[in-house]
Amino acid sequence: MHKYLKKTLVISVFILTAIALYENFLLVPEYTGLRTGVSDYIISSGLSDTGSLNLITAVLYDYRAFDSLGESTVIFGAVSGIVLILSRKMLPVSSRGLSFIVKRTFGLVTPFIALFSLYVITHGHLSPGGGFQGGVILAVISIIFSIVYGSAFDYRRYSPQVKTAMETMGAFTFLGLGVVGILMEGFFLKNLGFLTARTGTLISAGSIPYVNFGVGIKVGAGLAIIFYSMIQKTFKEDF
Amino acid sequence: MMETRIILLIIVPLGTAFIIPFIDLINAKLRRFFVLLGISIQIFNLTSIVVQYFDQIRDGSLFLQYHLGGWQPPFGINLVMDNLSFLFIAIVTLSLLFIIIYSIGYVGHHEGKFYVLYFIIIAASNGAMLTGDLFNMYVFIELLTIASGALIAFQRSHPGSEAAIKYLFYNIIAGSLIFFGVLLTYFNLGTLTMADVANNFAALESGIQLFITAIFLTALLIKMGVFPFLFWLPKSYDSSPAPVTAVLSGVLSKIYLYLFIRLIWTVIGFETIVALNLNILLIDIALFSSFLGHVFALQANNIKRLLGYSSIGHIGMIFAVIMLNTEAGFYGGILHIIAHMFMKAGLFVACGYLLQYTVSNHYRDFKGVGLRDKPVFIAFIILLLSMIGMPPLLGFASKWFILMAFLEAQSYFGAFIVIFGSLTAVIYYLRYIAKGFEEVRLSEDDLKMEVFNQPLLSVLYREKIVTFITYAYTAVIIIFGFGFRFLNIPLRMSIESIMNVERYIELVLGG
Amino acid sequence: MRNNFIFIILFMLGLYALIMKTNLIKNVIGLNIMEASIFFWVIAFSDVGGEVAIHKMGEEFSKFNDPVPQALTLTGIVIGASTAALLLTLIIELNQFTDTIDRDEIEGLNN
Repeated sequence: MHKYLKKTLVISVFILTAIALYENFLLVPEYTGLRTGVSDYIISSGLSDTGSLNLITAVLYDYRAFDSLGESTVIFGAVSGIVLILSRKMLPVSSRGLSFIVKRTFGLVTPFIALFSLYVITHGHLSPGGGFQGGVILAVISIIFSIVYGSAFDYRRYSPQVKTAMETMGAFTFLGLGVVGILMEGFFLKNLGFLTARTGTLISAGSIPYVNFGVGIKVGAGLAIIFYSMIQKTFKEDF
Repeated sequence: MMETRIILLIIVPLGTAFIIPFIDLINAKLRRFFVLLGISIQIFNLTSIVVQYFDQIRDGSLFLQYHLGGWQPPFGINLVMDNLSFLFIAIVTLSLLFIIIYSIGYVGHHEGKFYVLYFIIIAASNGAMLTGDLFNMYVFIELLTIASGALIAFQRSHPGSEAAIKYLFYNIIAGSLIFFGVLLTYFNLGTLTMADVANNFAALESGIQLFITAIFLTALLIKMGVFPFLFWLPKSYDSSPAPVTAVLSGVLSKIYLYLFIRLIWTVIGFETIVALNLNILLIDIALFSSFLGHVFALQANNIKRLLGYSSIGHIGMIFAVIMLNTEAGFYGGILHIIAHMFMKAGLFVACGYLLQYTVSNHYRDFKGVGLRDKPVFIAFIILLLSMIGMPPLLGFASKWFILMAFLEAQSYFGAFIVIFGSLTAVIYYLRYIAKGFEEVRLSEDDLKMEVFNQPLLSVLYREKIVTFITYAYTAVIIIFGFGFRFLNIPLRMSIESIMNVERYIELVLGG
Repeated sequence: MRNNFIFIILFMLGLYALIMKTNLIKNVIGLNIMEASIFFWVIAFSDVGGEVAIHKMGEEFSKFNDPVPQALTLTGIVIGASTAALLLTLIIELNQFTDTIDRDEIEGLNN
């Protein structure tokens, strides 16, 4: 009885909240942001300002690059926290993996996954994609290694130390390009003009491809570390 | 005025945070050198800003800007340092410096990860206070949430993980609400720069104004731990290690108060709040929260939990006195923010040292704590007296100004809460002081327990560092208690920069 | 209009899972549904019937959707994923001490 009462009470509160939200949404006018303000400027002159065909990438890594730096720092902080919290555990070493057919198949497929992630990272300024998306695909490789070939294989190929070094390197690529922006162009994270080539080519859009590359490596290594920490196991005789 | 050094205030700690895991791979002994290097550069940087712009800080015309990526404000992100943010950055940096020196002495295991997360907190707090962009503010708030949430569970104990889970649930909801509010603002005004939003916010329909304001207020009330959403706070203060509690209570809640002032006065505008009839409601909520905090503190049987509840009481009081929107109110409020920052951080720091040999933070285990280390306990008592509001200390000055502000605004309930808070504080602190001087006889079983055999701080110099920081906090409280007039000019100037929104908008959008 | 309805339904579902369910993992899922509903609403609201804001080589400039909310949402998604990962990690850690992930059976979460 008590349980049902509580449930009814909560649901009625929910319904009231929903009605209040609905009433408030009625007040929000139809979207008019395109005609005024920031977006109009970005759509009309984003290509000539940054040289990036993908305007979302232009916003992410040029107009609001500082947000992306904060965002990659969020991943960095989360990785540090997760490694810290789960540091008492150890990796269960297994070299058995799955069956021969699966191993062979993934042996053929994995290079193409790596190639695809590299494509997504490097074409961030030309087509949909970018560092974060490509980095997630990159992290998949490490996960495949652990599941298909056993964690010992992954540990041998890309040990956690290598991953940490890669993550730090990616973060420093981003930060370093920002500092180079101060030295050469006068502003932190300003797009490096001397790197710009003909629009639409692979290495155009100033420093955006390099920033994308750094973010991609960093996200890939970070997510691989998170996966690694989460599959760890506690052994009874810890410490 | 364009100034490159204010971006260095953010990227130097960020770079230190990035480099520490790499240093750990090479040689862990180098780590402390890089930590000290990072904070020295930070302090040098801030000092050079103070020296160069000393005259402008004194006459209140300080206004430093930085356009990230060289984009003019409505299109890109801009950083702004006016007198208000300068005052907050100065005190927050000082407090964070004390706490990091303390943690060099306190943190034994997994030092590397601790410093990474701690430097992320330094960078994010500076960023959140400097930024002039709404979405950038959201990013830095989330950074603070992640880093502090991981630090709460730093000891990897049972209560620590529970507290961190609770903390993260509440704060992630607050974070998504801030995201929602920022995007609603963007959809209605087409811009994210605070000055640009402030320029156009009053022209919006009042229903939308209420919607956006309510979302931001809910999020900030959760973050600050004011009445309807205060239930995460005592648990996380109780279960985290001492330096982290000092950061949570001494720094993070003050940053959220700063962001509250920024959002309400600069971005939304106090006239809008009055027009929406929210100001009286908010004062009442805050005073009720303060009342609840003090009442809960009376029944708390755990020293750290007690201090957490007392934090709720003080933050509610500051919140209410700021919402009066008078000059006296701001004066008392900001002075009490400074006072509370140093008192609470000092208390938690001293607690971390005093409670190192006890089994738990419980009242019965507090027995005899004062006899074991008398000088630190005396410093602890001085800080407690300052919390109560004893005359020569800083807590007295700030509480006096708050009381005067409430009386001037004829808010007698507020004045009652200030006096009620002091009176209850006398009751609940004296209990602990008396318990601390009680003679304790350890039985054989007690001595066999691990806590008594293995002190956490076995190295001698570490003990010296830890006690030194406690004395430093006490010294700050006593010095500023006698000379709180020194803070007169920065306080007056920061109040001027809160009130003078037109100047902020003009300087950001004009150049 | 339809977007608002779907947003409210999703948001309330997430809130329901967050408040009423006692399983901590389900609570995290509820939290993520709440965040996802906000992201969904932002993207749907900023859609004015144009194309994705990517120029194509050799084609003329056509009507684009606003790129800024999409970029902001990307940031929001990454932050949401990081916080969820940290939360799940903490639940794994807590499970070792309590051997349960039921919120009502863990005393420390209720005081």
